Amino acid sequence: MKADRLTILPGATEPIYRQIGSQLRRLIASGQLPPGEELPSVRDVAIQHAVNPMTVSRAYCQLEAEGLLTRLRGKGMVVARGAHAVVSPEQRLARLQSQLADIARQARELDIPARLVVQRLKSLLEDSE
Amino acid sequence: MSAVVSPDMSTDEAIRCERITKHYGSRTVLRRVNLEVTRGTVLGLIGRNGAGKTTLIRTLLGLEQADEGRAFVFGEPSLSLSDATKQRIGYVPQQPDAFDWMRIGDMLEFVGRQYPQWDGEFVDLSLSRWQISADRRLASLSPGERQRVALIRALAVNPNLLVLDEPASALDPVARRDLLQEIVARAAESGTTIFFSTHIVSDLERIASRIVFLHDHRIVVDAALDDLSETHARLTMPSEPTGVAARPIPGEISRRRHSDGSVTLVIARAPGSDWPEAAAAPGVHLDALHLEDLFIEVAR
Repeated sequence: MKADRLTILPGATEPIYRQIGSQLRRLIASGQLPPGEELPSVRDVAIQHAVNPMTVSRAYCQLEAEGLLTRLRGKGMVVARGAHAVVSPEQRLARLQSQLADIARQARELDIPARLVVQRLKSLLEDSE
Repeated sequence: MSAVVSPDMSTDEAIRCERITKHYGSRTVLRRVNLEVTRGTVLGLIGRNGAGKTTLIRTLLGLEQADEGRAFVFGEPSLSLSDATKQRIGYVPQQPDAFDWMRIGDMLEFVGRQYPQWDGEFVDLSLSRWQISADRRLASLSPGERQRVALIRALAVNPNLLVLDEPASALDPVARRDLLQEIVARAAESGTTIFFSTHIVSDLERIASRIVFLHDHRIVVDAALDDLSETHARLTMPSEPTGVAARPIPGEISRRRHSDGSVTLVIARAPGSDWPEAAAAPGVHLDALHLEDLFIEVAR
C-alpha cells in the first residue's frame, strides 16, 4: 500500500490518528488490504501527509493491539494473517449504520426529500470510482 | 575549527519556564507562565495577535529578560546559554531582518562558518528548490522569500531545537506544505524538538503533537492534540431555570453569555475521566470541539 491512499482531513472532529485507523480498518474489512500487505512506514505517511509521526504510529499501534496489523522484523507493519475480510456487503454496510443514520436524521431536519439525498449519495459514490 | 561540546543531552527536557511574568510599561504581556517541553515534541503555540506568543518565545530563548520567573533551554538558564547550546538552536523570527545589506550566498556562508555542523548541501538544494538566487541581496527579497531564506538558515544548522515564530505567515500554500513536510521529516528522522507559533489552525492540527493556547497573557489550554476532542468540549446551557450555569463548572476554561440568557462554556477534563455533573443536567447540550472551534470559542 502507498501512503497517498490515505485521506487526512485536518479540521474534522475525528482526530487524525482515528481517521487513519478507521480507514485502515475499512480497507482491511473489504479485502482491499489483504493479509501480508505491507503498510507504508510511519515516516512515509507522516511526510507525505505532513502529519506528526507519533500520530501515525499511534494509529498503527492501535490496530496492532486489535490484531489487524503485525510488526514484521525488517519489513515494518503488515496486515495480520488473521485479519480476514468481512465477507458479505451487508456486514460491511453495518459499519456505516451510525453515519447513515446521522445523515438520515440531518436530512429530515433539513426537510430534504429522500430521493434527492439518495441521488446525491449515488453520484458521490460513482464519482470516486 | 574548534571541537563542539555537546550540550547536556542526558536531560529529557528541551525547554522549561517557571512563573514567567513580563510587562511592557504598565501593560502585562505574560502572567506567571509555566511550561515544560520534553525532547522530540512538536509543540504548536496558538493565540490571537497580541496574546504574548512572540514575547514568550523570545523570553524562552533568552532574547528578552522576564520581569519575574526563569527559563531554561536544555537545562541551561536562557539568559546565559553556552555557545554549544546556542549552536543547537535554530530560530526563525517573525520578521527576519538581519544582514539586510548582504547577498544571500555571502550571508549563508558567513553564518555557516560559525557552525561546525552546517549543512552546505542542504542550503544549495533548498535555494534551488525554492528558486532563490544566492546573488540577490536580502533587502531586495519579498517577505515570503525572506522567510524562506531564514528557514534555510535555521534548518542548515541541523538544530536539536527549532523555534519558529509564525513561520508560514508570508508563505504561499505550496511553500507552506514544503515547510510542514520538512518539519515532520526532522521530527521523524532526528527527533528534533520543534516549537512553533501560528494562527493557521489546520497546519497546527497536522503536525503538532501538543498544543499550547495563550490567551489573556496566560496558558489556558495545554493538551496532547490527539486527545483534544476527548478532553475538551463545548457545553451549551439554556437560560434558567436549570440554574446549573450559576456557579463555575469544574474544568471551565471560558464562558460566554448570549442575549437570550443561554450560556456557552468550554470545559476540559483529564484523559479518561468523566465530564462534570452539570453536563448531564436537563437541557444541557455537550458537543465535541475541534481545534478551530476551541480557538474561536475561547478567544472570542
